[in-house]
Amino acid sequence: MADDGTSTALVKRLRDGLRLVSTVAQSFAETTSDYRRLLDVIARNIAEAIPDTCIVLLRSGEMLNIVAIHDGTPSAGPRVRRTTRGGTPVREATISADVLANGPLFMPRIDYARLRTQMIAESVDQLEASQTTGMLVVPLGARGELHGVVWVLRHGTQHPPLDELDLEIVRDLANHAALAISNARLFSDLQRSEQLRAAEERAVQASRLVDAIIENIPDMVFVKDADKLAFVRLNRAGEDLLGLSRDQLIGKTDFDFFPASEAEFFVAKDRETLASTVVVDIAEEPIHTPRGTRWLHTKKVPLLDATGRPAYLLGISHDITERKQAIADLSAAKAATDDANRELESFSYSVAHDLRTPLRAIDGFSLALVEDYGDRLDVEGQRYLARIRDAAQRMAELIDDLLTLSRVTRSELRRERVDLSALAHTVLGALQRLEPERRVEIVIAPGLHAHADPQLAAIALDNLLGNAWKFTSRRADARIELGRLPGDAATTYFVRDNGAGFDMTYGDKLFGVFQRLHPETEFPGTGIGLATVARITQRHRGRIWADGRPGAGATFYFTLMESHA
Amino acid sequence: MHERVIVLVEDNANDEELTLRAFRKSNILNRVVVVRDGAEALDYFFLRGAHAGRSPGEIAQVVLLDLKLPKIDGLDVLRALRADERTRLIPIVILTSSAEDQDLMRGYGLGANSYVRKPVDFNQFVDAVRQLGLYWLVINQAAPV
Repeated sequence: MADDGTSTALVKRLRDGLRLVSTVAQSFAETTSDYRRLLDVIARNIAEAIPDTCIVLLRSGEMLNIVAIHDGTPSAGPRVRRTTRGGTPVREATISADVLANGPLFMPRIDYARLRTQMIAESVDQLEASQTTGMLVVPLGARGELHGVVWVLRHGTQHPPLDELDLEIVRDLANHAALAISNARLFSDLQRSEQLRAAEERAVQASRLVDAIIENIPDMVFVKDADKLAFVRLNRAGEDLLGLSRDQLIGKTDFDFFPASEAEFFVAKDRETLASTVVVDIAEEPIHTPRGTRWLHTKKVPLLDATGRPAYLLGISHDITERKQAIADLSAAKAATDDANRELESFSYSVAHDLRTPLRAIDGFSLALVEDYGDRLDVEGQRYLARIRDAAQRMAELIDDLLTLSRVTRSELRRERVDLSALAHTVLGALQRLEPERRVEIVIAPGLHAHADPQLAAIALDNLLGNAWKFTSRRADARIELGRLPGDAATTYFVRDNGAGFDMTYGDKLFGVFQRLHPETEFPGTGIGLATVARITQRHRGRIWADGRPGAGATFYFTLMESHA
Repeated sequence: MHERVIVLVEDNANDEELTLRAFRKSNILNRVVVVRDGAEALDYFFLRGAHAGRSPGEIAQVVLLDLKLPKIDGLDVLRALRADERTRLIPIVILTSSAEDQDLMRGYGLGANSYVRKPVDFNQFVDAVRQLGLYWLVINQAAPV
């Protein structure tokens, strides 16, 4: 009944083999890319079914790499040396190469003597050393591609030798595996090319954006190669500035377009930039263009390659011609203003000297006439001479006031801490000494300080308090007050009196030169004082304004600082 | 024998006459030597040109110096007088129409003893001249000659 036993065993092996093939086939059908894990599963299943050692090698270029290795009889110990883990080259006269070239190799009983005549000793030695008695090597091939080989090894004599059925099962599994590998690789190629295409698309878009940015920068942008300094790029602003299209420019150098001296300057700066490998800033350089010479502010930047050597030169040029012109115009205007100021100064000086001299003669000789010939003049004649002297002295006052106004306008402003309260006491004290008979109630807020020019502040208070003194001259209960308004960002000071006041209708005339709101006979004055005060507040970036009513006094408000309110 | 004189450096005839009148009215009786431009002033002090023959015994008790003068202006006259050993101690009063700060500063800077602005009002002018005369001719002790 030995035959029956053999048949039963055979049927079991067939059934096992079929199950194995179907399991593996199904697994492969479900897989797409992770075929390496499945090769591992195959190797394990084969190793268990045979049961002995199974090795799967995959080809990658000219190398064969072990991707799966399983021993069906682990108890037998390591029979395959795993020194080939890093991969071996596909060489002629190795067993794997032979199988890849000529198809399956099936040796149920290895005849080492014969094998040595066919294969190189090294691979045979290895087999013999691991007491391999039989082997079965099939290629992993599908759709004309050879992906690798599957080795099945029989060691010792514990198990029956490998037979045709083993060959069939392994070959079948190898075919399935090869197909799966082909599919997976196809899929991955497809995926990779899809990724590649997307990456390309992104790169194109990014490059388009960079192009658009460079193209639309309103300054000239150019790039030259580091070697010949030939143009490789120019943006639209550059085309407009140079009056050249990029097609005309690219590939050429500065010497093809600009006068030699200009080109030499540009190239020298280019070389300097490339040699120093830092940004070089050229504050201004002239350039010849169809619109005449333009002035540029240029920055030159070395563009380095991966090794740190300059490969290109990037230039960015801002056209400063208009700005330069504006600066030149401005300094010309300033020179003219300075000239005018100097002229004004010498004019003022002459006014002081030359106009006063004849006045002194008019006054002096009028007085001499009165003194020496008074007895021959009647009262009317004496009165006329008195009027001549009055007029001369008044004109002298006018000249002095005009000189003060001009000095206030052109003198340098030097701010320091000024005690306005003390200043007001001084001014009013002097006025009181001139007219000791007058009784005026004086109210000066203590501790009023300003950050102002002391001389100009004194002139301002002199005028404002002098006015208040003058316009209260007809009141028995005269009152003059200096104070500050509470809670202002820019301190507002005020001078208030209860004098003649003024009609607000004419308020805007108060601060003009020679503007007077009262007849000379009523209150004397030149009409320059408030104009001078207004000029002083202006020089301090402050303001002045007034409030008043005829017969009810006036209040003058002023600031000596810029107000941001 | 020394004679103490007042030297008036003044180019304007009106001012000259008024100044002399002011001296008279102030009872200042010293002789007044009038020179009419800066060059003549220097000639007088250094006994040159038209003044080469003047008596070296004339001693200037005070010099009234205008600033705006023909040929050599007042500040240059002042500078020249202060630079010379013979004249560096003579009292010099700047008498001028200008009240410009810079003229004042320059005048004192160059060694003027006093700076007086000529007032337009003749009465004030007489006052000023009287005080000047009183101070420089009577009160002030001049450096010994």
